[in-house]
Amino acid sequence: MERKKGFAIMSYNTMPERREGPVDPMPNPGSTEEGGGPRRPEGDSPEKGNLLKRMKKVDPKQAERYRQRTGE
Amino acid sequence: MRLFGLETEYGITRDDLAEVDPVVESMELVRAHLTASFERRWDYAGEDPHEDARGFRVSGLAQDKEENEFVERDAHRPFSFHDMKSDLVLPNGARFYNDHTHPEYSTPECRTLKDLLAQDRAGERIVQRAADRRNKTLGGEHVQLYKNNTDFHGHSYGCHDNYLVPRSIPFFRLVAGLLPFLVSRQMITGAGKVGIEAQESGFVPGHFQLSQRADFMETELSVDTMHNRPILNTRDEPHADPRKFRRLHLIIGDANMCEYATALKVGTTRLVLELIERKAVPSLELDQPVAAVKQLSRDSDLKGVVRQKNGSSISGLDIQEQYYRAAVQTFTGLDEETDWVLREWGDTLTLLGQDRRRLIGKLDWVTKLWLLETFMQEERIGWDDPWLASLDLEYHNVHPERGLYLGLEAEGKAWRMTAEADIQRALATGPADTRGGVRGLCVRRFSDQIKSMQWERVRFIGGLLSPTLDMSGLFEPAEVNRCLAIFEAAASPMDALTAWNERKDSRS
Repeated sequence: MERKKGFAIMSYNTMPERREGPVDPMPNPGSTEEGGGPRRPEGDSPEKGNLLKRMKKVDPKQAERYRQRTGE
Repeated sequence: MRLFGLETEYGITRDDLAEVDPVVESMELVRAHLTASFERRWDYAGEDPHEDARGFRVSGLAQDKEENEFVERDAHRPFSFHDMKSDLVLPNGARFYNDHTHPEYSTPECRTLKDLLAQDRAGERIVQRAADRRNKTLGGEHVQLYKNNTDFHGHSYGCHDNYLVPRSIPFFRLVAGLLPFLVSRQMITGAGKVGIEAQESGFVPGHFQLSQRADFMETELSVDTMHNRPILNTRDEPHADPRKFRRLHLIIGDANMCEYATALKVGTTRLVLELIERKAVPSLELDQPVAAVKQLSRDSDLKGVVRQKNGSSISGLDIQEQYYRAAVQTFTGLDEETDWVLREWGDTLTLLGQDRRRLIGKLDWVTKLWLLETFMQEERIGWDDPWLASLDLEYHNVHPERGLYLGLEAEGKAWRMTAEADIQRALATGPADTRGGVRGLCVRRFSDQIKSMQWERVRFIGGLLSPTLDMSGLFEPAEVNRCLAIFEAAASPMDALTAWNERKDSRS
């Protein structure tokens, strides 16, 4: 089934970078050494295409095999 | 009174066995957290899911028959009920245990969203660390954990948000004020789901929903949580002085990967509860709330409307807008955190209506939909391809090198609101302004002298009547700070209790 409606399909490569985060920080009453507010996580960021590679590695049958017992 | 927390049941798989025993796997996962042998400490007294907030006690729950069958089956296992539950209280005041065959992490009680987010993320790290240890024992990456709410075959497990509310608010007012809000909250807090399913039956591919839990909502009000699930759970288990408090136990929510979605889920719900307390909630009454939950979940264009009791129709966005406006009118300028919630709530509603691409990395369903559509374009597949449900599942994997959301976050495209230092601190200690912090401190300082623990109290070893720290009314931050200072400085639990009780006596 093709999606006929909804917002336009957005190419992965046109995804805006979120590295800077918004100007308004999350209140941070306890203050941390890094300060509060949304921002990118620590560590090196892999290349953009890595997430698509990660997606392609997912076994298409994985959800079919996935079974859980009912919880709350 | 602001106090809230999250309970998250994780999905668990093991791929090296033809048949997996979920009881054993979940138990072993929790046990893997331990570096010493398991000691039974959780005190189950006071836990009674049969008490109903509508003012009565039910004789049975819908899940009792199934539960009894499990108990009978589990009775033949080579371990006890307590071994199977493996209930742990962690140094940060959290509870980590095997609940209904799912590893569950319950955050300590939090007073600020900042603390809640850090504690929730700490929970992800704790369960994944346990999986890493378990996998080391197994000799491979066989166990995987998922912070989601469905197995795509009709089995759901929960992420419950809890709020301490004054008992003085009549329950019927909570119901009336909350139902329209909860029906429409999924537009912000839904984790997104591929397909449609029903309780323990079927799976229909080819659809995308806002919410993982909507398919499992079957009634407006109920004390049940595993079958006949309600929009508003009526379980009356306050874990506090029952004369003064209720614990609102919401089971409709999805487990969020996006920190921003978690913050808005709890932040907006807290404000709506305060609106109800002040009798400032908008006057809305939906005709069929259960049908409306499913209808809105299956409308990712957000164009659909639901019927009100008065015969008119209203969109989900308009319902949220009405609550938002009432909150702005009532709470603007109250404090920094409230202003943040109001600003982001309003911006999110605007963007949902105008340019939701800007919510990628902030809201889970928007982020997941974007990932799936990108992938479909890349692979030239349609919505009926079973690969999409697998990608949906993997979005929630908490393994940092496998999970799709965590991959997105690692690329800097997810909205981070916690710092790594916040998470590290949450792994080690509880909030400094709630009794969760006191509970954690007791574990860190006097672990070998604790006889039993639960949300309201800590019992220490010694004497016929175990010396007990009663925290059923310990909610004022200043009192919590004093209690923490006493337990931090005391040489023994007895010294601490003596000092704490003397202080309380001198005040009375």
